Formats: sequence, C-alpha cells, structure tokens
Amino acid sequence: MNLLIYATPALIVYIIFKLYPAFSGVFYALTDWNGINKTYEIVGIANFLEVFKDKYFWQSVLFTMKYVAAMIVVCNVMALTLAIAIESRRKTKGFFRTLFYMPNMISMVIGGYMWMFIFTKVLYYMADNWGLKFLDQSWIGNPKYSFIAIIIVSAWGSVGYLMIIYMAAIQGVPGSLIETAELYGANSWQKFWNVTLPLISHSLTICIFWTLNSAFQVFDVIYTLTGGGPGRATQSVAINIYEEAFKGNIRYGYATSKSLVLLVIVIIITMIQLKLMKEREQEL
Amino acid sequence: MKKFLAIALALCVVFSLTACGGNAPAPSKSPVASSGNPTPAAPREAELTIMMSFPQYMDQWETYCRQFEEKMLKEENIKVKVNLEMPSSDQYESILQARLTGDDAPDLYTLHANNIGTYYKAGNLTDLSNEPLADKIYVDVKKTVTAEGKLVAVPLESMAWGVLYNKDIFDECGLQPPKTLSDLEAICEALKAKGYTPFMLAFQEQWVPQLMTALTLGGKVSGELTDWVDRMYADQGSYEEVRDIFGPIDLIMKNGTDRAMEQGSEAGAADFANGKAAMFVQGTWAAKTIMDTNPNMKLGVLALPVNENENCTRVNLATSTTLAVHPDSKEMDLALKFANYVLDDEDSSELFQSCGFNPLATCHDYESASWVADASDYVARGRAYQDLVLPSSVTDEQGKLLQEYYIGTVTKEEIIRRLDEAFRNANKISK
Repeated sequence: MNLLIYATPALIVYIIFKLYPAFSGVFYALTDWNGINKTYEIVGIANFLEVFKDKYFWQSVLFTMKYVAAMIVVCNVMALTLAIAIESRRKTKGFFRTLFYMPNMISMVIGGYMWMFIFTKVLYYMADNWGLKFLDQSWIGNPKYSFIAIIIVSAWGSVGYLMIIYMAAIQGVPGSLIETAELYGANSWQKFWNVTLPLISHSLTICIFWTLNSAFQVFDVIYTLTGGGPGRATQSVAINIYEEAFKGNIRYGYATSKSLVLLVIVIIITMIQLKLMKEREQEL
Repeated sequence: MKKFLAIALALCVVFSLTACGGNAPAPSKSPVASSGNPTPAAPREAELTIMMSFPQYMDQWETYCRQFEEKMLKEENIKVKVNLEMPSSDQYESILQARLTGDDAPDLYTLHANNIGTYYKAGNLTDLSNEPLADKIYVDVKKTVTAEGKLVAVPLESMAWGVLYNKDIFDECGLQPPKTLSDLEAICEALKAKGYTPFMLAFQEQWVPQLMTALTLGGKVSGELTDWVDRMYADQGSYEEVRDIFGPIDLIMKNGTDRAMEQGSEAGAADFANGKAAMFVQGTWAAKTIMDTNPNMKLGVLALPVNENENCTRVNLATSTTLAVHPDSKEMDLALKFANYVLDDEDSSELFQSCGFNPLATCHDYESASWVADASDYVARGRAYQDLVLPSSVTDEQGKLLQEYYIGTVTKEEIIRRLDEAFRNANKISK
C-alpha cells in the first residue's frame, strides 16, 4: 500500500498522458471525428473495414517490415562488432565509447537534416570533384537508394545505444571461462561464437526487441530525409498515419484505427520474437 | 512582471476607451447643417469606427484616416472623427465575431477574402457594386471579392504569381515571355542553344512540383473548362478532360536541372538566383531568398502556357485582406465615402505603396518591384485566374504523383486515374 502511495505522482501523470489517451483512442477509432469538429458520429467498425482495403496503408506496412528487417540485422551486427572491438582496446575505450554513442544524444530530426545535407550536397561534391562516381546516385529520388540512405541514418542514430548494452553484457562474461577456452586452444572466433555469444544472448533479446519496437514506429528520420517520397515510395506506417490524421482529408478517427491495427501487428510480432529468443537464452 | 502588469493594465484601459468610443451613439445632425443654409455653416460632427487586422501598418492607416478627416471637412463640411482599432491579428477574428454578434459592429472592418461568402450570407457585408470604386478594381481582382454577383468588399492585399524567370538571360537570348506552349518550346530550344538550362527543378518537397499542377489546372480551367471544378465536386468530371496540363509539365521536366529530387525549395531558389537555370516554377514568395542571394538579379514573372490557346496562359491571383462596410452602419454615407477613398485616384497609390501592397486597381500607378509589376501587368490585362478550390487531399496527391512521375514510376493514365479516385474519396468523406 505504501509503495502505491509513493508511486502516485508518477502514476497520475502516466494515467493522464498515456493510459487515458490510449484508451480514448480506441473510442475515437470507432468515430468519424476529424479532430476539429465539435460533433462526430460513431461509425462502428467501418474504419477498420476500410483499413483492410486501404492499399497505401498496406504498402506502408510492407515498407516498414522491410525497414525493420534491415534495421535488426544492420544495427545489431554493427553494434556487436563495435562493442567487441572497443572492449578489446585497453586505453582508448572511453573515447570510442563516447564517440559512437554521441549520435544517440542528438534528436533524429536534427540528425536527419544533417544527413540530408550530406546526401544532397556533400556526396555530389565528392562525386563531381574527387571522381568518386559511385556516389553519384539519386539518394533521395530513387526509392532503392533512399532506402539505403534511411537505413544509414537510422543505424547511425541507434547503433551507439545498442553498443552500450552489448558492452555491458560482454563485461559480465566471466574471464575464467574465456581463459579456460584459451587453454583448450580455442581461437578468437571460437571464443566469441561458443563462449561469449551464448552468455550475452539475454542482451541480444533486449536489443532485438528494442530495435523491432522502435523500427516499427520509425517517423523522424524518414520525415526529414524523404518525407515519405518520392510519392509514397518510402512511406512508413507512422508517416501514413500522420498524413491521414493531419494532412489531406484530416481523418482523426480513421487514422486512430490505423494505429490500432499497427499496434496489433507489433504486439503479435514482438510476442513471437520474445518467445523464440527466450527459448534460446542460456543461464549461467 | 511589474512591467508586464503595467502594460496589460494600459492595454485594458485603451481597449475599454475605444470600446466606449464605438458604443457612443452617432451625434445627430446639427440643426445648422440640416436646415440647408448655404452660407459657411458649423460643420456637422460624425464618428466612424474602423477595425483592421494589421497593426504592422498602424502608422500608414492612421495617416490615411487623418487625410480622410481633412478631406471630409473641406469637401463635405463634416467633422469626422475616425476611430481606428487595430487588435493584434491573432485575436482579430474573435473580437470581430464578438462585436458582430453583439450588435456592436464597426462601420468598416477587414476580413479575409476566403470568408466573404460566409459573411455575406450572414448579412454582414454591404453591396458596393454601384460605388465609384467598383469601376477601378481590375476585373480579375474583382472576382475575388464578389459574392453572388455583387461586389461586397474592397480588396487591399493581393498577390499574383506564375513562373519566375531571369530577365538577364532572356534579354541575352532575345526572348519574350511565351504566349502558347509552342512559344515555350521554342524558348527552351533557344536557351539550350545558348548553353542555359531552361528550368530549375526542386522537387524534394512535394508542394513545389505541385505548383505546376496549380498553374496549369488554373489556366486550363479558367480559360476553357470553367465548370470543371463544380463537376468534379459532383463526381461528374475527370482529369482526363484536363490532360493538356501534361504538355507544359513534360516540357519542364525534360528541360530541367539534374538531381531534382535532391533539391529543396530554398536551395533551388538560391541556385536559380545564381543563374543555374533561366526559369523556376515558384511563387513570388521566393523573391526574398532570390534577391538576398543575388541582389542584382533581374527577376520577372511570366504566365505558364498550357496549350495553344492563349486564353489559358494565366497567372494565379489570390486576395487575402479586404475591407468591408457593415450594413448597419449609422453613418453609411461616410462609411461608403471612406471605402471609396481607399481607392482614391490621388491618395491611394501612396497608401498602397507604403504598406507594400500590390497594385490592384486602375488608380494604382506606382513603381513596384519588377516581379510584382510583371505579375500585376497580367492581372491588369485580365490574364489571371482565381485559386481553384480543390480538396487538400487532392492537392497533396498531385504533389506526390508529380514526384513519382518525375522518377518514372507512374504513367499519365495512372495519374489521371489516381487523381479522379482521390477526388471521389474526398467527396465521399465530406458528405
């Protein structure tokens, strides 16, 4: 009971700003409210039926899936590589840790605009003046390359965060086990694959869970870099929902029902992921 | 904090004072004036309340009101006291609404041209069709302040825009603004022969390519298919009818700068100012960036041709702030006089120039910036169209599709089909 009292202030804020909007969202998803009008009508599940027929929405879901898959692989491989590389250094550990963590401290909106400059000006300068012709691509205009651009920027922003988690996990691996492996004549790859990796699999679960979750909600990077364009070629679900609610026909109710559909998709995928990964985790 | 309180208090006092001024009953005619005595009579006293939404031009309008007072005293022997009220623009509309509904309407007030229809239906606008000012306003501007065939407001702020072009480059190549699409094609060839890129393309932000559809649709619809928008709202039209718009769009995309999708609007304006291209489909609002980048630039505005029909070659014209006379004004005669005085043959030019407004009537003969003058010239010749009112989802869709069209992922047929679909959806939702 006492504990509950201590938690009250935080709980009130949480209820007002998180729980209440979340549940009222479910209600608005059943209406045709446009966010401005005082009156609205309850339209039942008509919005949800429309979501299933909305081809732009499913197109954006597909794009987001692609993005999530790419992010999980790219971010985690890079973060793990960096973590191991930095952990193996004795002197400059702090310096590199700070260096790679830095992008995480910048808002991705700012990061997005910074990279926009790189993709639209710096790379072309390098291509035109230094002969690096492979850089002369339509980084924003060609959906293939803009996807790569988006992955680069997102990875740049989140690798540092994941790297810190991996580094903490690596530090938790008992030195005695590594030494034992060395005595048995294991090379560094074998030490990593058979000793370190199984012992840090819990952080792998956390990191993949985090990437999955944040990648599904991706908005800022794409919004600042391509705005979902050209056309709708790089539109993520979050951007699709945003445009439905605040641009064009301004349909709050319909946009809310779209985000509920997204929520269900994310819950299902996360549950599968957690179940699979938990089974494989090793306990000491 | 104290300072803030003091200011707030002072404001309250000022407001209550002006409100009192507005409430005061208009003095009745003095017995001398009404007796019709021709010999120098004591001037009749009267009061006029005017409410305006641009405090930034307070000085200019204060001066103008004083001029009006002097003029009335001299010509009509009326001693007018003009109460000019300038609430801050973010509160303006709520104050105005409160006064209109509270039977405390100002004699004259400003409103946005978009609201004219609503205000006219509510009975808040006086018909000015038979006033002298009506004949001075350019025909195209007049359309923007007309409701049900009647002129109901005096336009103050208006803006015209089309395609920006670099006059130096045009002069060097001996070119004139185009009248038809084939003129434009010839211009592109001539420019390329001299080594210039005809068009600046900056398609990164969707609203910029969208300007091409705005201009071409506006020209086509105003010039040939005047009922198209109404039919579209009634689900009885199609973009198939305005297929002409792809003529100039194709031409622009074919003769534009590289890397359009990587070019933002501001960067595009700067590059255009530095002579990277001869023309730029962009409104006059970009003039500031352009002139900041290159103060020596000779900037012009031309209308974008849609086809071989010269009547479709038009600039976009939009009116924002207008001045209206309230029908319940107790000094109707004076209120109308003031409305006419705003477009006075002698004094109006100075007022419009000092506020930086664009010329919109025959009485305006002042020099304005080269691009404003060019655009106004089209307006004066009746070569302007009023902004087409399309659902915003359709406008957004046009921008998206033009980006895709540029990178080649959609065809014309696809664009027509998807725009028709977007329009029908918007119709369905608004029902």
